[in-house]
Amino acid sequence: MNQILTYSVYGSAILVMLIGIYAVLTKKNLIKIVIGLSIMDSGFNLLLVALGYIKGGTAPIFSPAVAGKDVLMVDPVPQALVLTAIVIGFGVTAVALSLVIRLYRKHNTIKIDEIKTLKW
Amino acid sequence: MVANPILYIALPLFTAFLVPLLAKLWKPLVRIVPGLVLAYLAIMSVVLMQQVSPEKPIIAMIAGWKAPWGINLVFTSFSGFIASLISILAFFIWLYSFGFKKVEFDDAQKYFILFMLLTAGSIGVVLTGDIFNMFVFIEITSLSAYALTAFYKGRDGAEAAFKFLLIGSFSSIMLLLGIAILYTYTGTLNMAHLALLMPQVPMHAKITSFLLFFVALGIEAEMFPLNGWAPDAYSQAPGPIAASFAGILAKAGIYALIRVSYTIFDLGDHGGFELLLVMGLITMVVSELVAMRQENLRRMLAYSSMGQMGLIMIAFGLGTKEGIYAGLFIMFNHAVIKSLLFLASAYLVYYTSRKKISDLDGFGKLLPLTSLLFGLGAFAIVGLPPFSGFWSKLSLLIATANSHMEFVLATVLAVSVIEIIYYFRVLGRLYFRKAHKEIKVRKPTWNSVVTMIVLALVIIAVGVHPDFITGLLHNAATDLADKADYIQKIIPDLFSQTLN
Repeated sequence: MNQILTYSVYGSAILVMLIGIYAVLTKKNLIKIVIGLSIMDSGFNLLLVALGYIKGGTAPIFSPAVAGKDVLMVDPVPQALVLTAIVIGFGVTAVALSLVIRLYRKHNTIKIDEIKTLKW
Repeated sequence: MVANPILYIALPLFTAFLVPLLAKLWKPLVRIVPGLVLAYLAIMSVVLMQQVSPEKPIIAMIAGWKAPWGINLVFTSFSGFIASLISILAFFIWLYSFGFKKVEFDDAQKYFILFMLLTAGSIGVVLTGDIFNMFVFIEITSLSAYALTAFYKGRDGAEAAFKFLLIGSFSSIMLLLGIAILYTYTGTLNMAHLALLMPQVPMHAKITSFLLFFVALGIEAEMFPLNGWAPDAYSQAPGPIAASFAGILAKAGIYALIRVSYTIFDLGDHGGFELLLVMGLITMVVSELVAMRQENLRRMLAYSSMGQMGLIMIAFGLGTKEGIYAGLFIMFNHAVIKSLLFLASAYLVYYTSRKKISDLDGFGKLLPLTSLLFGLGAFAIVGLPPFSGFWSKLSLLIATANSHMEFVLATVLAVSVIEIIYYFRVLGRLYFRKAHKEIKVRKPTWNSVVTMIVLALVIIAVGVHPDFITGLLHNAATDLADKADYIQKIIPDLFSQTLN
């Protein structure tokens, strides 16, 4: 039972990533592609947090309440990495959306197959 | 003078965010201050390169945490060489773009902010000793590269940038997955510590994560078939930015690829180097063949640039010290010569809307100095003596011959002939055709002329007297080849524990 739970946590994170990749590869609408990129990032962040989980661990904050006691804590490093990755993902999404705006102004469309001045 | 590797990242980052404030004081500061900072970094590179040796790398701790817990910056003979190359080149590209086209004040401000971020990110990739930190710097570099690609509103920059961004996002996800796999098995992110713990990682995990790194970094390093972004980005970005993509961005990418395959993973003897060699070979052959069919000058240079990256991968894929030496030499030459070619070509195609090679008839008379410098760059990049390109190609050929790879040697020589054909086709148009009537040309500004002449002088000086840099290259090659030494210098305590 426990095993199934563990795998379902990882599996769902990977599933979210696959949904994102599917959107990026098949959608023709530029905004939907950007949404796909964002979903892909979220899936990865879920996976990373799941990797750092330790059974029965508490939040990795060193406070007087836990000082000197034998308390299990979850791994704080993946959480720090995810925070960074979220910020970077936000930056990428913002730049992508501003590029979509620029493309729309120039070509009057957000369909990817109607924009082919450069060979895609 | 204060010389510390931390300044390489801190100063340009600080300047980038200071620029909007400076603009409020006095507008020309926006153009001047980045140049002063880059000049300081360039001088600092010279100072630090004299202090560093393979026995004594300069290691900077950040926030007082010792490796492997904190992030450290490692200025060794190898990483320092690339960092110095990038920072000195960045200064010259600034000098060129200082008066490049009278762009609006707002645009100039954006340009210099993004250019400083690109420089800071690329040097960060090279100097950092932490794998996650490297990912962050790669993202800083790519984000500013996306924005710079879309810099001109009139061109199709946004399209090229979006394409670049799509590929770049996949690259970042794969890089993160590779890092996550390594972290679950070793519990560390420090590169030296990872290299030390690598024998513990099971083979299947090692190969999966190596391939993820390889593909992700191959995108930055313009490896075929992941380089679809490059010709568009090179042709749509402003001229000096195309030069910095070749000299700065691609150098950081190939550095990361080499650091990962040489230092972190121990797969060199299990096919890691062969993979690099084969991919380099494919990249080189395909790019040079495509370059020959290009009609757009910028795209031709972009494909030629990818061909050179393939050549660098071949050199590092040999896995011998001679190969490393040749690879570093080609990296140096590619940075200098390709920048000169891109900078000169920006003036050649200035008023032609489609940047076609056939529009260049008779430019040898219209723009004598620029054409001459372009011709010099073309001679150097195909590897004709007495220019610097000759020595790098020669050292690569010797290295392949000594590794008994006759097939690789023959391919490199055959591809050089293709290179000669398409570069001389351009030169033929420049010098042996009559100019079209009433053609508008743009005279280069004094600062761009100075930049191009300095780059040309470097090419000639290294060509006539290669000893100027061979010492540095030898040190760098020795440094990269000795992996145990790298680990020992960074985490001496943990290293001696493992030995006992």
